[in-house]
Amino acid sequence: MKMEQPGFRDAGFNEELLKAAIRFNAAVLGVVSGVLGSTLVYTATTLSLLKWGDNAGGYLGLLAVFLPGYSVSSVGALIGAFWAFIFSGLAGFLTYWLYGRILKERIATDITMIQNPVLKPSVLRMHGVSLGVALGTAMSLALFLSTAWLVFRGTASESVHAALLGNYLPGYSVSIWGGLLGSLELFLVVLVFCVILAGTYNKVADIRSGKG
Amino acid sequence: MDMVAMMIATGLLCGIVLVVATAVLLLQNVPEGYPVGPHLAALQDYLPGYSVSWKGMVPGFLYGSVIGALIGAFLALVWNLAHYMALGIMLIRGSVLAD
Repeated sequence: MKMEQPGFRDAGFNEELLKAAIRFNAAVLGVVSGVLGSTLVYTATTLSLLKWGDNAGGYLGLLAVFLPGYSVSSVGALIGAFWAFIFSGLAGFLTYWLYGRILKERIATDITMIQNPVLKPSVLRMHGVSLGVALGTAMSLALFLSTAWLVFRGTASESVHAALLGNYLPGYSVSIWGGLLGSLELFLVVLVFCVILAGTYNKVADIRSGKG
Repeated sequence: MDMVAMMIATGLLCGIVLVVATAVLLLQNVPEGYPVGPHLAALQDYLPGYSVSWKGMVPGFLYGSVIGALIGAFLALVWNLAHYMALGIMLIRGSVLAD
């Protein structure tokens, strides 16, 4: 006789509440990612202008390929920050949404361990593989779409800087097939790094909460 | 989210990423006289002391760790703040409905 895995209802957990929590957390991570992305673009552009003045640009100017209206200028920095917020925010939202969808069953068992959510909140734990699959999917999708955009624009052969990714992703090239291969490799790399990240976080959190 | 744990995890990871990125370029066969990693070396503009060299990896790891820790701190801070606010709103709404 096949034993069924316990689901949310068996754990006494409200599935609608879980879905709402996933949407909320995805929104939070989306905002955080958006702010970080926009801050990075704005800060890098501003620092470049402060250091190089009229000669600023160089590599940063290449961002204009992906961020419409961006330029290495004061106004361009704001426009770039806006687009970076949008793209980074979407990536962050997608990442957590995928993470929550993958982790669905495991969250139910963790939630039952909460003693008193107000006076002594449980510490968040991470599941490295789920995080790696989610973030790896988001990043590999971003890489493939970026590469496809360069091919679609007709500038694939001139995209020498994008081709440098081949140093880290063997076989990557600014082409559809090269982009696919690079995306798969990036997925694996991100998966490994996420397992390291989650393992480190969980270990330190356990030590600090007295469970380690 | 445990902020300290997050800072340590993200700091460690970012430091490792920069070290690995540098090492990959250093381990490549580059003809004599050719610059190694001229594009990654552009990070020197933002990270003084960093260079695409074995010695440069040390400040690179430190910079990566600090930047990663700051990112982790920001993430944990906003995450916890948002959840505490949501919890507070839910408790207030619950007490209002109970009345």
